[in-house]
Amino acid sequence: MSEDKLFGLIDLNFRFELTKFKLVRALCKSRWLPLLLILFNLFIFVIILLAGLFGGYSAGNYNFGIMMVWILWWVLLILMLVPGFARMWCLMCPFPIFSDWAQRGKLFEVRQGKLGGLNLKWPKRLSSMWVLNLAFLATTFFSGFFTVRPFATFILLGIIILVAFLTGLVFQKRTFCLYLCPVSGFQGLYSQFATAEVRRKDPEICKKHTPKTCFVGNEKGYGCPWLRTPFDFAKNTYCGLCLECFKTCPHDNMALNLRPPGVDLLVDTKREPRGLDEAYKAFIMLGIAIVFYLAFQGPWGVIKDMVRATTLEGYLGYITFHTVFNLLIIPGIFFLFAYLSKLFSGNKEVPLKKIFTNFSYTLVPLGLGVWIGFSLGIILPNGSYLLHILSDPFAWGWNLFGTAHFPWTPVLTHLLGYLQGATLIVFYLFSIAYGFRSSRQTYPDLPQARRGWIPMLGLLTLITTAFLWLFMG
Amino acid sequence: MSRKEIIAVILFILATVITIAGVVGVEAYRRRELYTVELTARAPEHGNWYPQEITVPLGEEVRILIRNIDTVSHGFALPDFEVAVPEIKAGQVAVVQFVANKSGTFPFLCTVWCAGRHMEMRGELIVE
Ligand SMILES: [Cu+2]
Repeated sequence: MSEDKLFGLIDLNFRFELTKFKLVRALCKSRWLPLLLILFNLFIFVIILLAGLFGGYSAGNYNFGIMMVWILWWVLLILMLVPGFARMWCLMCPFPIFSDWAQRGKLFEVRQGKLGGLNLKWPKRLSSMWVLNLAFLATTFFSGFFTVRPFATFILLGIIILVAFLTGLVFQKRTFCLYLCPVSGFQGLYSQFATAEVRRKDPEICKKHTPKTCFVGNEKGYGCPWLRTPFDFAKNTYCGLCLECFKTCPHDNMALNLRPPGVDLLVDTKREPRGLDEAYKAFIMLGIAIVFYLAFQGPWGVIKDMVRATTLEGYLGYITFHTVFNLLIIPGIFFLFAYLSKLFSGNKEVPLKKIFTNFSYTLVPLGLGVWIGFSLGIILPNGSYLLHILSDPFAWGWNLFGTAHFPWTPVLTHLLGYLQGATLIVFYLFSIAYGFRSSRQTYPDLPQARRGWIPMLGLLTLITTAFLWLFMG
Repeated sequence: MSRKEIIAVILFILATVITIAGVVGVEAYRRRELYTVELTARAPEHGNWYPQEITVPLGEEVRILIRNIDTVSHGFALPDFEVAVPEIKAGQVAVVQFVANKSGTFPFLCTVWCAGRHMEMRGELIVE
């Protein structure tokens, strides 16, 4: 890949190093970052937990916990943090602070030698996105409650915090974040699309540098808590942006870069191979987006009632359909098109599994576009509630910022469908751009890649058309 | 422990223990200042007003937090004290405040046609 230009415009190898600015590098090297952000979010989440607890079983439009988590946090993640800055949330996430503290014995300083806790290695067979996939899917079974019952949100967050702590006591470093956290998987998947990355600068410096302090740690910082190898890792999926490698690198050889969106989708190295687990993450995310849209933003109250468990039969029906749809139907349809791709290409050697896996990454931009569209459908109509709950977080008649009586004001909702449609088309174009490149990587020559690409292009177009119809009616 | 480590620990305690104590403490103080009653609104089919009988001391300024935990809107009126909230949306908590300056038993009621048995959605305020 000498000069491969995205849409004939941006060189895929283009990088703009933010850390070339002295201030940015100094911030990345300071131990106060990300600690201060984590502590601030800890404060916010303590209030969210209190609001969830006091809010109890009442409906949620006016609850601070629900609004902050499902309107503000979720929407920020999907609209800005992940597409822009990859796992920026993981950098400031407060949930692992308890286990970090337990392992390190210190909040700010760097502990020398072995970390506390049992420090076990996570079983190799589970070292993938499979647990995350199932955990996230299972979490969505209860989506109908999280958004209406503050106490359900309290329980969910409580479980996450508790499991994060216990996992940290038993397993090494950020095992929880890597393999268990329900919101980790989708951030990893869509971070491949992000316009920012942390990477090493000069490979030669890393080659000569022993020991690899970014991996084992030194007096300035910890060896990569996310168990990456900062000296050569190539994609965002599992990089938690914790910035430890900036602190441990004595040569200032780590960089925070801006880059063209999506370049990780073409990465398929020995250390970071494409995998079925990530393929399934892409399916599940797309499937959940479809089900959520139908249930929460579509005109069908019946589906909403099923998700919200108005009747037990309806709810069981939802869980069954949701699971089958995500784990079998979507992958099944995709498998069919992968098979067609192989037929069209005329190639006999490339295994079907490779075609299936490689092409699944083309769903990443499209899936992200669908989620952004869905999130616009949350924030534009409901965003004004935020002003109310910020002033009266516990519904006790407080008015902290004088905005407690701000009326419900939908923003741009008459344009919502068009905004969702336009977003989707942009991300569809990215899917096509990377899809054809994946086809090139899959098949040995250009004519085969062209022919094998046709069914996939058809599928992507079909999905996009279906969503355009849903969004714009 | 270095000075920075101590600062980090203090910030941690501020974000957790002090925040929780602060929130609970401030509200407890506010409630001592003002006689506060919590009232839950549900359609009669789902449990009606809770509690259906509120007792407040004569002469005090009273605040009622009316929490609608239904999925439909309710209203609130306490005619004898000229207190009314035309609409309390699902999940909303409305706050009313008045001086309980006469003793006796006074009805309060829902003013939004919320359910089939809406007319039964009534309760009593006792001032003594
Ligand atoms: Cu009523």
